[in-house]
Amino acid sequence: MTQEEKIVLLEDMLELDGGSLTPEMELASIDEYDSMAKLSLIVLMDEECGKKLTGEQIREFKTVADVLNFMGE
Amino acid sequence: MKGIEFIGKRFVVSGAGGIGAETAKLLNSLGASIILLDINEENLNNTLLSLEGTNNRAYICDFSNVDGIEQVVKLIATENGAVDGFVHCVGVGSVRPLKMSKYDFMLKVMNINFFSFVEIVRCLSIKGRYNSNGMNIVGVSALGAYLGNSTKTAYCASKGAMNAAIRCLAKELAPKNIRVNAVAPGVTDTPMARVAEDYGADSDEHKMILARQYMGVCQPLDIANTIAFLMSDMSRMITGSCVAVDGGKLSS
Repeated sequence: MTQEEKIVLLEDMLELDGGSLTPEMELASIDEYDSMAKLSLIVLMDEECGKKLTGEQIREFKTVADVLNFMGE
Repeated sequence: MKGIEFIGKRFVVSGAGGIGAETAKLLNSLGASIILLDINEENLNNTLLSLEGTNNRAYICDFSNVDGIEQVVKLIATENGAVDGFVHCVGVGSVRPLKMSKYDFMLKVMNINFFSFVEIVRCLSIKGRYNSNGMNIVGVSALGAYLGNSTKTAYCASKGAMNAAIRCLAKELAPKNIRVNAVAPGVTDTPMARVAEDYGADSDEHKMILARQYMGVCQPLDIANTIAFLMSDMSRMITGSCVAVDGGKLSS
Protein backbone atom coordinates (compact mmCIF):
# COMPACT_ATOMS: atom_id res chain seq x y z
CA MET A 1 0.00 0.00 0.00
CA THR A 2 1.38 3.43 -0.91
CA GLN A 3 1.52 6.35 1.49
CA GLU A 4 -1.27 8.01 -0.53
CA GLU A 5 -3.50 4.94 -0.32
CA LYS A 6 -2.99 4.74 3.42
CA ILE A 7 -3.89 8.42 3.84
CA VAL A 8 -7.08 7.90 1.79
CA LEU A 9 -8.07 5.00 4.07
CA LEU A 10 -7.62 7.18 7.15
CA GLU A 11 -9.49 10.11 5.57
CA ASP A 12 -12.39 7.81 4.68
CA MET A 13 -12.42 6.38 8.18
CA LEU A 14 -12.49 9.86 9.73
CA GLU A 15 -15.02 11.11 7.14
CA LEU A 16 -12.62 13.88 6.09
CA ASP A 17 -12.37 15.45 2.63
CA GLY A 18 -9.57 14.16 0.41
CA GLY A 19 -6.33 16.04 1.03
CA SER A 20 -7.23 16.92 4.64
CA LEU A 21 -4.52 14.81 6.27
CA THR A 22 -0.76 15.23 6.12
CA PRO A 23 1.79 13.00 7.87
CA GLU A 24 3.11 15.73 10.16
CA MET A 25 -0.33 16.60 11.60
CA GLU A 26 -0.75 16.08 15.34
CA LEU A 27 -3.59 13.61 16.02
CA ALA A 28 -4.72 15.73 18.97
CA SER A 29 -5.45 18.59 16.55
CA ILE A 30 -7.92 16.51 14.52
CA ASP A 31 -11.44 16.82 15.97
CA GLU A 32 -12.66 13.71 14.17
CA TYR A 33 -9.97 11.56 15.84
CA ASP A 34 -12.15 10.72 18.86
CA SER A 35 -12.68 7.55 20.91
CA MET A 36 -15.03 6.14 18.25
CA ALA A 37 -12.40 6.76 15.56
CA LYS A 38 -9.82 4.93 17.66
CA LEU A 39 -12.08 1.89 17.79
CA SER A 40 -12.50 2.12 14.02
CA LEU A 41 -8.72 2.33 13.68
CA ILE A 42 -8.33 -1.00 15.48
CA VAL A 43 -10.67 -2.62 12.95
CA LEU A 44 -8.99 -0.89 10.01
CA MET A 45 -5.53 -2.09 11.12
CA ASP A 46 -6.86 -5.62 11.47
CA GLU A 47 -8.81 -5.84 8.23
CA GLU A 48 -6.78 -3.65 5.87
CA CYS A 49 -3.27 -4.15 7.23
CA GLY A 50 -3.43 -7.46 9.12
CA LYS A 51 -2.07 -5.77 12.27
CA LYS A 52 -3.24 -6.11 15.85
CA LEU A 53 -3.47 -2.72 17.49
CA THR A 54 -3.74 -2.42 21.29
CA GLY A 55 -5.08 0.42 23.40
CA GLU A 56 -1.56 1.03 24.66
CA GLN A 57 -0.21 1.43 21.13
CA ILE A 58 -3.01 3.83 20.26
CA ARG A 59 -2.09 6.00 23.22
CA GLU A 60 1.50 6.17 21.89
CA PHE A 61 0.44 7.58 18.50
CA LYS A 62 1.17 11.33 18.35
CA THR A 63 1.09 12.22 14.63
CA VAL A 64 -0.58 10.93 11.46
CA ALA A 65 2.86 9.64 10.45
CA ASP A 66 2.91 7.35 13.53
CA VAL A 67 -0.34 5.77 12.34
CA LEU A 68 0.92 5.50 8.74
CA ASN A 69 4.12 3.80 9.91
CA PHE A 70 2.15 1.30 11.98
CA MET A 71 0.08 0.42 8.91
CA GLY A 72 3.26 -0.97 7.34
CA GLU A 73 4.10 -1.41 3.67
CA MET B 1 -34.93 -29.84 49.61
CA LYS B 2 -31.20 -30.01 50.22
CA GLY B 3 -28.68 -27.91 48.38
CA ILE B 4 -27.76 -28.40 44.75
CA GLU B 5 -26.00 -31.59 43.72
CA PHE B 6 -25.39 -33.11 40.31
CA ILE B 7 -23.98 -36.55 41.11
CA GLY B 8 -24.39 -38.82 38.08
CA LYS B 9 -25.30 -35.93 35.77
CA ARG B 10 -23.53 -35.16 32.52
CA PHE B 11 -23.48 -31.56 31.29
CA VAL B 12 -22.20 -30.05 28.06
CA VAL B 13 -20.49 -26.68 28.59
CA SER B 14 -19.55 -24.70 25.50
CA GLY B 15 -16.77 -22.18 25.98
CA ALA B 16 -13.92 -23.21 28.26
CA GLY B 17 -12.58 -19.78 29.24
CA GLY B 18 -13.93 -17.09 31.59
CA ILE B 19 -17.52 -17.83 32.63
CA GLY B 20 -17.42 -21.22 30.88
CA ALA B 21 -14.39 -22.39 32.85
CA GLU B 22 -15.90 -21.21 36.13
CA THR B 23 -19.23 -22.85 35.32
CA ALA B 24 -17.58 -26.16 34.37
CA LYS B 25 -15.62 -26.18 37.64
CA LEU B 26 -18.65 -25.37 39.77
CA LEU B 27 -20.97 -27.93 38.14
CA ASN B 28 -18.17 -30.49 38.40
CA SER B 29 -17.58 -29.69 42.08
CA LEU B 30 -21.30 -30.37 42.65
CA GLY B 31 -20.87 -33.86 41.17
CA ALA B 32 -21.42 -33.53 37.42
CA SER B 33 -19.27 -34.91 34.62
CA ILE B 34 -18.47 -32.17 32.13
CA ILE B 35 -18.21 -32.30 28.35
CA LEU B 36 -16.32 -29.18 27.28
CA LEU B 37 -16.53 -27.56 23.86
CA ASP B 38 -14.21 -24.83 22.65
CA ILE B 39 -12.29 -23.87 19.54
CA ASN B 40 -9.19 -23.17 21.63
CA GLU B 41 -7.30 -26.33 22.55
CA GLU B 42 -5.33 -24.61 25.30
CA ASN B 43 -8.53 -23.40 27.00
CA LEU B 44 -9.95 -26.91 26.71
CA ASN B 45 -6.91 -28.59 28.23
CA ASN B 46 -6.50 -26.08 31.06
CA THR B 47 -10.14 -26.33 32.09
CA LEU B 48 -10.24 -30.11 31.66
CA LEU B 49 -7.21 -30.47 33.95
CA SER B 50 -8.98 -28.44 36.65
CA LEU B 51 -11.92 -30.89 36.76
CA GLU B 52 -12.27 -33.89 39.05
CA GLY B 53 -13.33 -37.39 38.06
CA THR B 54 -12.62 -39.58 35.06
CA ASN B 55 -15.69 -38.96 32.91
CA ASN B 56 -14.95 -35.41 31.78
CA ARG B 57 -14.31 -34.91 28.09
CA ALA B 58 -13.22 -32.13 25.75
CA TYR B 59 -14.13 -31.60 22.11
CA ILE B 60 -12.89 -28.99 19.68
CA CYS B 61 -15.76 -27.07 18.13
CA ASP B 62 -15.64 -24.12 15.75
CA PHE B 63 -18.77 -22.18 16.70
CA SER B 64 -18.41 -19.84 13.73
CA ASN B 65 -18.97 -22.83 11.44
CA VAL B 66 -22.55 -23.62 12.42
CA ASP B 67 -22.87 -26.32 9.75
CA GLY B 68 -20.11 -28.31 11.45
CA ILE B 69 -21.74 -28.40 14.89
CA GLU B 70 -24.12 -31.30 14.24
CA GLN B 71 -21.19 -33.63 13.64
CA VAL B 72 -19.61 -32.68 16.98
CA VAL B 73 -22.89 -33.19 18.89
CA LYS B 74 -23.44 -36.57 17.21
CA LEU B 75 -19.94 -37.64 18.23
CA ILE B 76 -20.59 -36.52 21.82
CA ALA B 77 -23.85 -38.49 21.91
CA THR B 78 -22.20 -41.60 20.47
CA GLU B 79 -19.22 -41.51 22.81
CA ASN B 80 -20.96 -40.40 26.01
CA GLY B 81 -24.66 -41.22 25.77
CA ALA B 82 -27.53 -38.96 26.78
CA VAL B 83 -26.78 -35.68 28.50
CA ASP B 84 -28.62 -33.95 31.35
CA GLY B 85 -27.89 -30.36 30.45
CA PHE B 86 -26.18 -27.80 28.30
CA VAL B 87 -24.71 -24.40 29.15
CA HIS B 88 -23.74 -22.09 26.30
CA CYS B 89 -20.96 -19.79 27.48
CA VAL B 90 -19.39 -19.15 24.10
CA GLY B 91 -19.32 -15.58 23.00
CA VAL B 92 -17.34 -12.90 21.27
CA GLY B 93 -17.64 -9.50 22.91
CA SER B 94 -17.05 -7.41 19.88
CA VAL B 95 -16.62 -3.66 20.20
CA ARG B 96 -16.90 -2.09 16.77
CA PRO B 97 -18.38 1.17 15.45
CA LEU B 98 -21.32 0.78 13.07
CA LYS B 99 -19.21 2.23 10.27
CA MET B 100 -16.96 -0.83 10.45
CA SER B 101 -19.74 -3.38 11.18
CA LYS B 102 -20.24 -4.89 7.75
CA TYR B 103 -22.44 -7.90 7.10
CA ASP B 104 -19.67 -10.51 7.28
CA PHE B 105 -18.68 -9.23 10.73
CA MET B 106 -22.30 -9.13 11.94
CA LEU B 107 -22.83 -12.65 10.66
CA LYS B 108 -19.71 -13.98 12.40
CA VAL B 109 -20.87 -12.56 15.75
CA MET B 110 -24.38 -13.95 15.24
CA ASN B 111 -22.96 -17.35 14.30
CA ILE B 112 -20.76 -17.64 17.37
CA ASN B 113 -23.06 -16.02 19.94
CA PHE B 114 -26.49 -17.06 18.71
CA PHE B 115 -26.83 -19.53 15.83
CA SER B 116 -24.39 -21.99 17.43
CA PHE B 117 -26.55 -21.95 20.58
CA VAL B 118 -29.74 -22.81 18.71
CA GLU B 119 -27.92 -25.43 16.64
CA ILE B 120 -26.53 -27.20 19.72
CA VAL B 121 -29.96 -27.11 21.38
CA ARG B 122 -31.50 -28.48 18.18
CA CYS B 123 -28.98 -31.31 17.94
CA LEU B 124 -29.13 -32.20 21.64
CA SER B 125 -32.93 -32.21 21.94
CA ILE B 126 -33.23 -35.26 19.69
CA LYS B 127 -34.50 -38.46 21.34
CA GLY B 128 -31.66 -40.51 22.78
CA ARG B 129 -29.26 -37.58 23.05
CA TYR B 130 -30.80 -36.15 26.23
CA ASN B 131 -32.13 -37.64 29.43
CA SER B 132 -35.85 -38.13 28.78
CA ASN B 133 -36.51 -37.48 32.49
CA GLY B 134 -35.30 -33.97 31.98
CA MET B 135 -32.66 -31.74 30.49
CA ASN B 136 -31.84 -28.19 31.51
CA ILE B 137 -30.36 -25.61 29.17
CA VAL B 138 -28.86 -22.24 30.08
CA GLY B 139 -27.59 -19.69 27.60
CA VAL B 140 -25.24 -16.97 28.77
CA SER B 141 -26.85 -13.83 27.42
CA ALA B 142 -25.84 -10.31 28.42
CA LEU B 143 -27.43 -7.33 30.08
CA GLY B 144 -26.50 -5.50 26.90
CA ALA B 145 -29.50 -7.20 25.29
CA TYR B 146 -31.66 -4.68 27.18
CA LEU B 147 -29.45 -1.62 26.88
CA GLY B 148 -28.24 0.77 24.25
CA ASN B 149 -24.47 0.34 24.03
CA SER B 150 -22.81 2.20 21.18
CA THR B 151 -20.28 0.12 19.22
CA LYS B 152 -21.93 -3.12 20.37
CA THR B 153 -24.78 -3.55 17.89
CA ALA B 154 -23.71 -7.04 16.80
CA TYR B 155 -23.06 -8.27 20.33
CA CYS B 156 -26.23 -6.89 21.89
CA ALA B 157 -28.38 -8.02 18.95
CA SER B 158 -26.98 -11.56 19.24
CA LYS B 159 -27.85 -11.64 22.95
CA GLY B 160 -31.29 -10.14 22.32
CA ALA B 161 -31.85 -12.88 19.76
CA MET B 162 -30.89 -15.46 22.37
CA ASN B 163 -33.39 -14.02 24.87
CA ALA B 164 -36.18 -14.18 22.30
CA ALA B 165 -35.16 -17.70 21.28
CA ILE B 166 -35.14 -19.15 24.80
CA ARG B 167 -38.78 -18.15 25.30
CA CYS B 168 -39.75 -20.00 22.12
CA LEU B 169 -37.50 -22.98 22.80
CA ALA B 170 -38.79 -23.23 26.37
CA LYS B 171 -42.38 -23.58 25.19
CA GLU B 172 -41.57 -25.91 22.30
CA LEU B 173 -39.34 -28.23 24.33
CA ALA B 174 -41.40 -28.31 27.56
CA PRO B 175 -43.24 -31.49 26.43
CA LYS B 176 -39.82 -33.18 26.29
CA ASN B 177 -39.08 -32.18 29.91
CA ILE B 178 -36.50 -29.70 28.72
CA ARG B 179 -36.21 -26.33 30.44
CA VAL B 180 -34.47 -23.43 28.67
CA ASN B 181 -33.29 -20.29 30.46
CA ALA B 182 -30.66 -17.60 30.19
CA VAL B 183 -28.56 -15.51 32.51
CA ALA B 184 -27.71 -11.93 31.65
CA PRO B 185 -24.45 -10.88 33.28
CA GLY B 186 -23.62 -7.22 33.80
CA VAL B 187 -19.98 -6.19 33.70
CA THR B 188 -18.03 -9.29 34.71
CA ASP B 189 -14.32 -9.71 35.33
CA THR B 190 -13.39 -12.09 32.47
CA PRO B 191 -10.60 -12.20 29.86
CA MET B 192 -13.15 -11.10 27.23
CA ALA B 193 -14.10 -8.02 29.24
CA ARG B 194 -10.46 -7.14 29.90
CA VAL B 195 -9.70 -7.10 26.15
CA ALA B 196 -12.66 -4.78 25.54
CA GLU B 197 -11.59 -2.55 28.42
CA ASP B 198 -8.13 -2.21 26.97
CA TYR B 199 -9.72 -0.25 24.14
CA GLY B 200 -12.24 1.78 26.05
CA ALA B 201 -11.40 1.74 29.76
CA ASP B 202 -10.71 5.44 29.87
CA SER B 203 -13.84 6.32 27.89
CA ASP B 204 -16.65 8.21 29.56
CA GLU B 205 -19.10 5.55 28.45
CA HIS B 206 -17.17 2.79 30.22
CA LYS B 207 -16.98 4.83 33.43
CA MET B 208 -20.71 5.47 33.21
CA ILE B 209 -21.44 1.75 32.79
CA LEU B 210 -19.38 0.91 35.87
CA ALA B 211 -21.12 3.65 37.86
CA ARG B 212 -24.54 2.22 36.97
CA GLN B 213 -23.55 -1.23 38.24
CA TYR B 214 -23.81 -0.01 41.82
CA MET B 215 -23.00 -3.31 43.54
CA GLY B 216 -19.71 -3.51 41.64
CA VAL B 217 -18.25 -5.77 38.98
CA CYS B 218 -19.46 -9.41 38.88
CA GLN B 219 -17.03 -12.29 39.23
CA PRO B 220 -17.40 -15.35 36.95
CA LEU B 221 -18.46 -17.39 40.00
CA ASP B 222 -21.45 -15.09 40.51
CA ILE B 223 -22.67 -16.03 37.05
CA ALA B 224 -21.80 -19.71 37.52
CA ASN B 225 -23.78 -19.88 40.79
CA THR B 226 -26.93 -18.67 39.03
CA ILE B 227 -26.32 -21.14 36.19
CA ALA B 228 -26.02 -23.97 38.74
CA PHE B 229 -29.37 -22.94 40.21
CA LEU B 230 -31.01 -22.92 36.77
CA MET B 231 -29.48 -26.34 35.98
CA SER B 232 -30.88 -27.79 39.21
CA ASP B 233 -34.33 -28.95 40.30
CA MET B 234 -34.48 -25.98 42.67
CA SER B 235 -35.55 -23.97 39.62
CA ARG B 236 -37.93 -26.63 38.31
CA MET B 237 -40.76 -24.13 37.65
CA ILE B 238 -38.53 -21.65 35.82
CA THR B 239 -38.33 -21.84 32.04
CA GLY B 240 -38.10 -19.25 29.29
CA SER B 241 -36.64 -16.76 31.76
CA CYS B 242 -33.60 -14.54 31.51
CA VAL B 243 -32.14 -13.88 34.95
CA ALA B 244 -30.06 -10.72 35.27
CA VAL B 245 -26.90 -11.09 37.35
CA ASP B 246 -25.85 -7.51 37.04
CA GLY B 247 -25.01 -5.93 40.38
CA GLY B 248 -28.16 -3.82 40.04
CA LYS B 249 -27.27 -2.30 36.69
CA LEU B 250 -30.66 -2.81 35.04
CA SER B 251 -32.41 -1.05 37.92
CA SER B 252 -30.25 2.07 37.85
